[in-house]
Amino acid sequence: MTVDTIAADAKPLAVKSSKGGGLGRYLLWRALLIIPTVFILVTMVFLLMRTIGDPITASVGDRLPPDELQRRISEAGYDRPILVQYFEYLGQVLTGNFGTTISDNRAVTEVLLTFGSATLELVFYTLIVAFIVGIPLGMLAAYYRDRGPDAGLRVFAIFTYATPVFFSGLLLKLIFGIWLGWLPVSGRASIATELQIQMLPNPSGFYLIDAIRLGSLEAVGDVLSHAILPALTLGLMTAGVFLRLVRTNMIGTLGREYIDSGRSRGVGEFRLVTKHAYRPALIPIITVIGLQIALLLGGAVLTESTFEWKGLGFQLAYYLSARDFIAVQGIVALLAVIVALSNFVVDVLAALIDPRVRY
Amino acid sequence: MKLSRTGYGALALATTSALLLAGCASGGSSNGGTTTSGAITVGTTEVVTSLDPAGAYDNGSFAVMTNVYPFLLNNPVGSSDVEPDIAVSAEFTTPTEYTVVLKDGLTFANGNELTSSDVKFTFDRQLAIADENGPSSLLANLDSIDVVDDTTVVFNLKEGNDQTFPQVLSSPVGPIVDEDVFPADELATTADIVAGKPFAGPYTLESFDQGNLAAYAANDVYQGLWGAPANDAVNVKYFANESNLSQAIETKAVDVAFRSLSATDIEKFESTDGLNVITGPGGEIRYIVFNFAIQPYGSATAEADEAKALAVRQAAADLIDREKISEQVFKGTYTPLYSYVPEGLTGATESLLGLYGDGNGGADAERAAERLAAAGVETPVVLNLQYAGERYGAASSEEYAQIKAQLETDGLFTVNLQSTEWGQFTKDRVEDMYPAHQLGWFPDYSDADNYLTPFFLEGGFLFNHYNNEEVNTLLREQLVTPDAAERTAKIEQIQDLVAADLSTLPMLQGAQVAVAVDGVDGVTLDPSFKFRFGTLTK
Repeated sequence: MTVDTIAADAKPLAVKSSKGGGLGRYLLWRALLIIPTVFILVTMVFLLMRTIGDPITASVGDRLPPDELQRRISEAGYDRPILVQYFEYLGQVLTGNFGTTISDNRAVTEVLLTFGSATLELVFYTLIVAFIVGIPLGMLAAYYRDRGPDAGLRVFAIFTYATPVFFSGLLLKLIFGIWLGWLPVSGRASIATELQIQMLPNPSGFYLIDAIRLGSLEAVGDVLSHAILPALTLGLMTAGVFLRLVRTNMIGTLGREYIDSGRSRGVGEFRLVTKHAYRPALIPIITVIGLQIALLLGGAVLTESTFEWKGLGFQLAYYLSARDFIAVQGIVALLAVIVALSNFVVDVLAALIDPRVRY
Repeated sequence: MKLSRTGYGALALATTSALLLAGCASGGSSNGGTTTSGAITVGTTEVVTSLDPAGAYDNGSFAVMTNVYPFLLNNPVGSSDVEPDIAVSAEFTTPTEYTVVLKDGLTFANGNELTSSDVKFTFDRQLAIADENGPSSLLANLDSIDVVDDTTVVFNLKEGNDQTFPQVLSSPVGPIVDEDVFPADELATTADIVAGKPFAGPYTLESFDQGNLAAYAANDVYQGLWGAPANDAVNVKYFANESNLSQAIETKAVDVAFRSLSATDIEKFESTDGLNVITGPGGEIRYIVFNFAIQPYGSATAEADEAKALAVRQAAADLIDREKISEQVFKGTYTPLYSYVPEGLTGATESLLGLYGDGNGGADAERAAERLAAAGVETPVVLNLQYAGERYGAASSEEYAQIKAQLETDGLFTVNLQSTEWGQFTKDRVEDMYPAHQLGWFPDYSDADNYLTPFFLEGGFLFNHYNNEEVNTLLREQLVTPDAAERTAKIEQIQDLVAADLSTLPMLQGAQVAVAVDGVDGVTLDPSFKFRFGTLTK
């Protein structure tokens, strides 16, 4: 199939577009789907959290007589019918009130802002690692298809993708933190830097930005050095997916006639690979990024706990152990919104790049 | 392959990123962390739930409060008993009136005066808020407070001569707060507390990033019992788990690691160059509860027989080797507990030591067999034993596997061991579901009564159907006996009685353990169970 035939294939779709409402209707439909997605997730979390006990029992279940324990549970309203609690919660959420955490008495919105920025920063570093490692290596594997470098890279991809993040995280900590002593093993910055950041007026919570605001190269270096191991842990997992995806798609596009045509016209191999073959292969990657956001956030729970990266995943693990309904519901709702929105953005991008997606 | 302009750009970007990251790595600390110069950094896995004394009743929060708020009474270094802290005197002036006279010229770090009005405000506020996560229940015996003058307050008690009341004033309900900073009827936010500087303890809290980092500075206006801190500043770094804390002290990212490190790590650090392990008595205890209704031959069973039921409990006590569990499972981080009040507290005994086993703490299967035979108990006795590893740590499974193995010595018992999720466990344990089960306890304050009355007075919170009138009487008496020696004798007598009945089987006492890097001194772990930053030096 040539470029011309692809364009020819697209013509009937364009006709259908004028009848069916096109991009606007598609986007509206995708946006509306966010609401039931989030609603279903929040409802499931609400119900599941109530099957694992209440926070008061979790905290003082082994030091109070049953009647006193029950009195406290009743005072907190945890023994009311679940539907009453559910509708009360929904009412609060609809008015933007996510409540106050039970276990540490913090506004959930404050928790989301404070820890959400840390998670966002980790995801940012992770995607950088995933792109820098996954895409060039995928291109290389495709170019050397079925030869030594390809085989090696495929094994590398499977290894990075299949290794659980808590294991790869511990391994990296052990090697680069404990044995070699090159990199910090935990936290988002050293204590000295964190104290400086805390003194900033209105810190953003995004440590790299805050370190730059401090005007200290040492602080920036400190923040980045703390990010290396967690970013590698989570980023390599994602890079493995990207590598395999880029390779597969690149092999498809490298076999196209227009590539041979370009080669016969004297276009350089590097340019053929990085421009002519690579760009069409990007479309499925954009779609996969949307799915990867959900996986990244799931991986962040383990990565953040392993590296003391105090983000949403880290806090979620703590609140789950404390049976803090309110906090868990708030965090999961935010994660659901992030995943739904990122998928929406991916759908929009995919629709813009490839009109066939709109149908 | 010939590189194009785009190719060069991509290569440059990748190279720059790599160099930047590598450069940053070398620019960071070589040991995995950087402590602030001068300040001592303490690492911990504790969790702070609130800085407001009315909203927190947990070790993590109390550790902060101990160092920043003033107390009317407190523990001198090395003691479990209490003395006036920011007070010049504190005593019963009548059986139901406990009068405290404050020192003159007390102030908070924000410049506000600390007067008896703040004291009244503090305790009235605790009772008014009565937060579900707060310690207001410790004030059950407090009726009202009268302010006599700026430095004198009178606590009016419901029951007279309550000998635990001075200890209550040193407990999590006791931090004195500034009435100009804290709201009277709701909890203060962390941000408001830090900004308001309502601190009159040894330190002020300069910044507090909850769950991450707290920065303390020595408080110039502190006039309390512990004297001026030996250092200018302390930072506390909060870690998510034992493993991360262990790595932090190993890489010297923190100067002191305190609560909690795994037994394996502590054992490793004992032989690690540059690290020092410091231990002290701990308040935490681990024990087994017998349900007198449904244990073998219990009162609600078909073959109910009080003598046989007692023989079963006593035989179990004969078979337990605490030292072995302490060494093999906990590497000495928990030590054998042979009575109900742990070592270090006034009134501690070793009531079980001579009564059971070989008389020296070891197991004695022959004695157990004789005891069961004498009572006519058929062996093996089937005992369902429940534990809650989720609550009491991963080592619980190993601990209870050891207990099962010890009880099954010579075929005297057949133990059915089961672990249950904590939420379900707490419901089942009070609904006569478990013939025997694991529990643990950490005290509200360092007084023997806190290990006795909640457990054994008319069955206490255990709900295990144990009720001994002689024990009940002694428990009530010791509570109101002003003479210390006489009270201690009653506390010892109570332990002897319960040791014979075996309502619970005390197992282990948690040691307090800290690890400090070379050059850091003054880590003091004493029976007050309070970690004082002020004694640390570097």
